[in-house]
Amino acid sequence: MPKHTNDRLQGTLDLLVLKTLASRGPMHGYGITLHIEQISQEILRLEEGSLYPALHRMMQAGWLRSEWGASQNNRRARYYSITAAGRRQLTEEEKNWAQLTEAVSRVLQFT
Amino acid sequence: MSWINRFTNFFRTRKLGHEIDEEIRFHLESRVKDNIQAGMPPSEASQDAERRFGSRLRAEEGVREANLLVWLETVRQDIRYAFRTLRRNTGFTAVAIGSLALGIGANAAIFSLIDALLLRSLPVRDPQELVQLQMMMPGASTPSSFSYPLVRALSEQSEIFSGVCGFSNAVFDTGRRETPEPVTGTWLTGACHEMFGLVPVAGRLLTREDDRPGAPPVVVLSDTYWESKFGRNPSVIGGQLAISGVAATVVGVSPRSFTGATIGEVSHFAVSIGSMARVLPDRSSFLEASARWLQVLARPHQGISREQITVRLAVRWPNLVSAAIPDSMAASRRRQMESTINVIPGGTGWSSLRSRFNQPLVVLMAVVALILLIACANIANLLLARATARRREIAVRLAIGAGRTRLIRQLLTESILLSLFGALLAVALASFGSQFLVAMLSSGQESMIVLDLNPNWRVLGFIASIAFGTALAFGIVPALEATAVGTAHTIAGTSARIAGSRSRLGAMLVTAQVALSLLLVIGAGLFLRTLQNLRSLDPGFRRDGVLLMEVNGRKLGYRGPQLTAFYHEVLQEIEAIPGVASASFSFTTPVGKGQVSQRIAVSGQSVPNEETLVNLIAPRFFQTLHTPLIGGREFTVGDTATAPGVAIVNQAFVRRYLQGVQPLGRHLSIVGQANADMQIVGVVQDAVYESLRESPPPTVYAPFSQRGGNLRAVFEMDTRGSLAQLAASVRTKIQPKSPGSPIQIGTFTRQIESSLVQERLMAALAGCFGVLALLLAAIGLYGLLAYSVARRTSEMGVRMALGAKRSQVLWMIARDAIKLLLGGLAVGLPAAPAASRLVSSMLFGLTPSDPATMLAATALLMFAGLLAALLPAYRASRVDPLVALRYE
Repeated sequence: MPKHTNDRLQGTLDLLVLKTLASRGPMHGYGITLHIEQISQEILRLEEGSLYPALHRMMQAGWLRSEWGASQNNRRARYYSITAAGRRQLTEEEKNWAQLTEAVSRVLQFT
Repeated sequence: MSWINRFTNFFRTRKLGHEIDEEIRFHLESRVKDNIQAGMPPSEASQDAERRFGSRLRAEEGVREANLLVWLETVRQDIRYAFRTLRRNTGFTAVAIGSLALGIGANAAIFSLIDALLLRSLPVRDPQELVQLQMMMPGASTPSSFSYPLVRALSEQSEIFSGVCGFSNAVFDTGRRETPEPVTGTWLTGACHEMFGLVPVAGRLLTREDDRPGAPPVVVLSDTYWESKFGRNPSVIGGQLAISGVAATVVGVSPRSFTGATIGEVSHFAVSIGSMARVLPDRSSFLEASARWLQVLARPHQGISREQITVRLAVRWPNLVSAAIPDSMAASRRRQMESTINVIPGGTGWSSLRSRFNQPLVVLMAVVALILLIACANIANLLLARATARRREIAVRLAIGAGRTRLIRQLLTESILLSLFGALLAVALASFGSQFLVAMLSSGQESMIVLDLNPNWRVLGFIASIAFGTALAFGIVPALEATAVGTAHTIAGTSARIAGSRSRLGAMLVTAQVALSLLLVIGAGLFLRTLQNLRSLDPGFRRDGVLLMEVNGRKLGYRGPQLTAFYHEVLQEIEAIPGVASASFSFTTPVGKGQVSQRIAVSGQSVPNEETLVNLIAPRFFQTLHTPLIGGREFTVGDTATAPGVAIVNQAFVRRYLQGVQPLGRHLSIVGQANADMQIVGVVQDAVYESLRESPPPTVYAPFSQRGGNLRAVFEMDTRGSLAQLAASVRTKIQPKSPGSPIQIGTFTRQIESSLVQERLMAALAGCFGVLALLLAAIGLYGLLAYSVARRTSEMGVRMALGAKRSQVLWMIARDAIKLLLGGLAVGLPAAPAASRLVSSMLFGLTPSDPATMLAATALLMFAGLLAALLPAYRASRVDPLVALRYE
């Protein structure tokens, strides 16, 4: 179902985060940021500060869980991983995204 | 996150803060390291990391807010911070809380009165199902009471109602005959207690069996009466209690919360009409169709709506009436058959006070709401001024990234705290205020009005929502203003632009205050003049110097001609008292209670359809009351019961029915009464009859000795001397003639004043509130000007340094004041006639847009405003240019 613009922005961020964690396994916030930047070839650049509220919100919603662990440099960092509910949400978000892009292309193709 | 996690998070707030901090730090440090590895110099690396990350503060806050219960923690912080801020500015806090307490308290007082009188449900089973029946006779504007046979007939409509209750309060002499105590009790029809669904505290309650003819007289006590009179002694139940001399058996006690269905009065016991009235000599007429005295509440069957009741009752009504009312009352029966029955919600019981005070209470509610608005405007202006003082603090907080919403929320928390404390004080003020109001309302009644003024949920909810509403009203605009800063400018100190917009906002608020207080002052003026008009009205009789006395001859056992003889005996005694210039007695007095009207036929002319007022009087009535006789004569002792019937009419009667004809010698008769022919022997000037507001109606006076029968009488005495002395002499001389029944003494002045209770209430309260509004508006004006002067100190300094005289500076400020006042007047004056028209029905002797009142109010407002502007203007002119300029 097409959502209001704010939801759309928020939903897109959720989608990216969920997909990242689903395909790459547990990561910390910085790692998620880097992954998205690299894979999208620098086109998508997050305002990094907004990532963390989103991560905590998704934890509240039950889509992610987190635990403290050691990074590559033996520094303490919080690692996020996707839950089963999160995977279900990911499927839902992917479907929404596909619907949206299809609808937009249809409108654009119409002359 | 599970619920347990959220819950424990609440207790681990500080830990959460550290964790968030650590997480963000990790992110930034990782970015910096990557940047350095990519070749950036360290300083640029950290700058880049910061820039990419965005507002750290916002990220932290965002994470916090994502945790639901941690959000509550931020609220707690807001409250603590607000507390500190308010405690630091005790002056402002005290003024704000004080004005809020007064404003909210006034609103709460009026509302709790409205609640107690109009909204509270009776403490009975399912009060929302009950309906009240009102009988509207053709041509009448107020409902009429029901007679006992009519109520019995209604009770038999069992297809519509599961129970019908007729009731009326009365004062009974209770206890032993030697020491009777007047106690208020209720007359009930049989189904009442059952219909209310009450459960007895002891014994049983009244049933339909008790309402049968020949049933033994029984009484049910109220719990409070059982407690106060008998100490809740169980042996009282089954025993006897003397009520009006009749030994009634106490059969039970009704629940504590139930004090009768008449709001405003407390009933201490209940008796059945059918059994009691029969055994009381002077009340047996209550059982007949000619006595209309009962109010009716009924409980319809489940599912029947009020419209359905109206329809079904309308169908059955004519048969019902013809069965209940005998042929001897054919005329009255026809009128009652033609009456319509209104069916209104009955869950709040019945009260005669409602029609009297409904409109004044609503008007007062509007007045105090406006006062609260004016007070809010003052507080808003104060907050705006303080916002200017706090601009640096706020700008810094905004600059480091705190959300504007969060800041607004924190500022609003201060406002809500102010309102909260104001509301707490208001609860206390409201209880005093409403008790004072009830005492004032009672001054127009015979006994104290008793209302349940304990705050219930509705009143508390009202106070809470007003408190919250006012907090938003006066807090939101200053909060928005305070946080709408151009950051860099503000910190640097050049805030002229912002202060300018604040000033404009403040000016708008003051203009609104002036307009509102103009409306209230005009209103006060209108009500004050209405009262004065009514008081100075010539009522057609002498107000002062006439003593009134009531003796209950019927209770002493006199009947018929004996009763009239008794009255004459008393009259002779009174005339013998030194100081009495003349004396008389009558059935009723002007502006007294118990007016009677009858259908009159003037012989030789067709019967008019309206009813004329009839009063029965003794000789020298008009002499005693100083009502001028226009023609003919007064009644004399010669007009006895065997002499030809005579009558005196007033000018209004002549104008209405005897136009252009010589009234003396004409005959008239009272329709429906035997032996009714009377000859007009005198014409008197119009005298006010029922109320001061109405022009005197056509009135017929007949001699008491000819038509007195078993009616009561009021004695009037005219004296030149002191009324108090006369009252004492009368008491000593006449009281012995009335053993066991205290005589009552009053004056016209007191009677008139009690008829004016509504006007006195409005004049007093509207006057007080008008003054309060004026004061608040003046304070608001003063505050704004003082603030403006303080802000423009340097400007004044420059002007004076450049040669402006002190008087010119003074005039500058005065001009600002006048501009504000004129602005307020421009808004308020056009609105005033429209607003006054809403209360036009309560005014007397002037139009709603009375120019004199409006002019006076305008002048008063201008004067108060200029007075308020005096001090700031003076201070402005006293500015030392050197000091002012140095302060830049």
